[in-house]
Amino acid sequence: MAAVFPPTPMPTAPLQRPAARRPIRWAPIVLTGIALAYLALFLFVPLAAVFFEAFKKGAGFYWDAIREPDAWSAIQLTLITSAIAVPLNLVFGVAAAWAIAKFDFRGKSFLITLIDLPFSVSPVISGLIYVLIFGLQGWVGPWLSEHDIKIIFAVPGIVLATIFITFPFVARELIPLMQAQGREEEEAAAILGASGWQTLWYVTLPNVKWGLLYGVILCNARAMGEFGAVSVVSGHIRGETNTLPLHVEILYNEYAFAAAFACASLLAFLALITLAIKSIVEAGPPSPPTPLPKSGEGGVLLHKAFGLARNN
Amino acid sequence: MSIQVIGVSKRFGTFEALNGVNLDIQPGELIALLGPSGSGKTTLLRVIAGLEQPDSGRILFNGEDTTNTRVQEREVGFVFQHYALFRHMSIFENVAFGLRVRPRALRPSEAEIKRRVMVLLKLIQLDWLSDRYPHQLSGGQRQRVALARALAIEPKVLLLDEPFGALDAKVRKELRRWLRRLHDEINLTSVFVTHDQEEALEVADRVVVVNQGRIEQVGSPDEVYDHPATPFVYEFLGNVNLFEGRVHNGVADVGGGRIHAPEHRNVADAAATAYVRPHDIDIASAAGASTVEATLNHATRIGSVVRLELSRNDNGAYVEVELSRERFEHLNVATGNVVHFNTRRARVFLAENHDSDAA
Repeated sequence: MAAVFPPTPMPTAPLQRPAARRPIRWAPIVLTGIALAYLALFLFVPLAAVFFEAFKKGAGFYWDAIREPDAWSAIQLTLITSAIAVPLNLVFGVAAAWAIAKFDFRGKSFLITLIDLPFSVSPVISGLIYVLIFGLQGWVGPWLSEHDIKIIFAVPGIVLATIFITFPFVARELIPLMQAQGREEEEAAAILGASGWQTLWYVTLPNVKWGLLYGVILCNARAMGEFGAVSVVSGHIRGETNTLPLHVEILYNEYAFAAAFACASLLAFLALITLAIKSIVEAGPPSPPTPLPKSGEGGVLLHKAFGLARNN
Repeated sequence: MSIQVIGVSKRFGTFEALNGVNLDIQPGELIALLGPSGSGKTTLLRVIAGLEQPDSGRILFNGEDTTNTRVQEREVGFVFQHYALFRHMSIFENVAFGLRVRPRALRPSEAEIKRRVMVLLKLIQLDWLSDRYPHQLSGGQRQRVALARALAIEPKVLLLDEPFGALDAKVRKELRRWLRRLHDEINLTSVFVTHDQEEALEVADRVVVVNQGRIEQVGSPDEVYDHPATPFVYEFLGNVNLFEGRVHNGVADVGGGRIHAPEHRNVADAAATAYVRPHDIDIASAAGASTVEATLNHATRIGSVVRLELSRNDNGAYVEVELSRERFEHLNVATGNVVHFNTRRARVFLAENHDSDAA
């Protein structure tokens, strides 16, 4: 009547000691492998190719390609452009972020949208806007040519277009950071008697200095690498209005591949330095202590914000 | 320094944070602004500090109109609920900040700044932490640093926004005793905001009960607790039982129980509510003329008192009673027993919307 079940063997000892051999977990290995392969294919190979092509004809040729007058002028123009655009956008970015994060006013969301505009508009269109305004057929073009002021197809146009393209970077980096930090520290500073400038200098900026530095690095990278907008307004005058990216394009179109890659390697090199600084910044201490300057040590703080000195 | 708040109103959009608030604060007083969240107490504190501009009304410091004085020039010390210490500065630099940002002519020398900061750090018993950073301190320590920083500028008034709100119960108790002692030592006119009635009653000289942008009552802790001016104050300060009923010529009939309310002796007949504290209720040994019959749901011993929960047999309403341990043991009642209670002391308020007091 009663069914006879085969007795279940009692486990006398664990068949496997769990600590001795763990099963291989494939998912992380496969995923990491895919990611690395992808990076290698789309990032490391092209990057290596740039340097390989650049040095293909030897280091001497590489040096000559860079020291060639047109190339040298392009390097200078690129540096000048970012030397103007980055500080201006730094000031603008801090001012905009400060206003948006710490004060309430009408049209705030409109201002935030405006700041994003360069991100949402094609760079070529951004360049065209300046041609339409300052070009000979543009709004103020005739007046400018009467007074012998050249903006389009000249350095000022390139600088203007670069400023326009790069102005969101610092502001965009700072706004969420400042908003997250709230207003209490600023209120505390005001109650303790600090003026607006003192509050900005000693309280607000030190709190966001890593974000600020990060924004400046991104802004600079874009200022040096911008092609579209600058291409429209530059006019491609060799030795005068060619920035480094434009110069690379011209060389490439002329089948001067080695020279093109030599100049391109400069930009790539710059990107690598930027990345290196960025990772140093990101690894930086979460709240690096900055002592308040003693009497008469005014500019020390901003200097510190840009130097990477980690003094305790 | 005295502070006068005259007819201050403040709106945020459609929300009325303050509605015609008047308040006189005497020099050297320690005042608690007590109210539920959203009652406007913090807004009032911020208006006094100058962090908010009132829509109408004036603020006088020592009789002088400071409504339009800039925050920087008001010389107030302010302690924020979440401390708002400068996170990138050491404790020393935090406290020194108010002295460092002074115009050169008024700025003390470096040695003097150091001396004054160290005196303050000793006062808060944290001089051994002067090189640390805020994130390395506990909540209670941060709160004390915030206080030292506020005191460093030698303010004329000290304003504290929920100063102990973010601390755990034990630290909180310690700190509020410490604040009281500190106040007695330096005798600075001080106003603090709190939603904790116990804190307000224990620490303050006078308590200002705020509700919905208005001041409900101002008085000493005993006054507001023992003689609440409005039903709100009664309910907000301590536990209270509400008995609905009607008032006839000075006697409130709350369903069996009769409560004398001589202040309403001229009211012929009106709906009213009697407010009775749990410790003002006694359990009678037998039914009487003014007792109410109820059933004991359960009794909880909390330290030296016993808290009883009764439900009335006539309408099922819950009644909370607090007895001493001895009294409870003497009564010898158990859960489920029928008991009779009467009220020793009560306050009767006529129902709202009833313009009654024909007195």
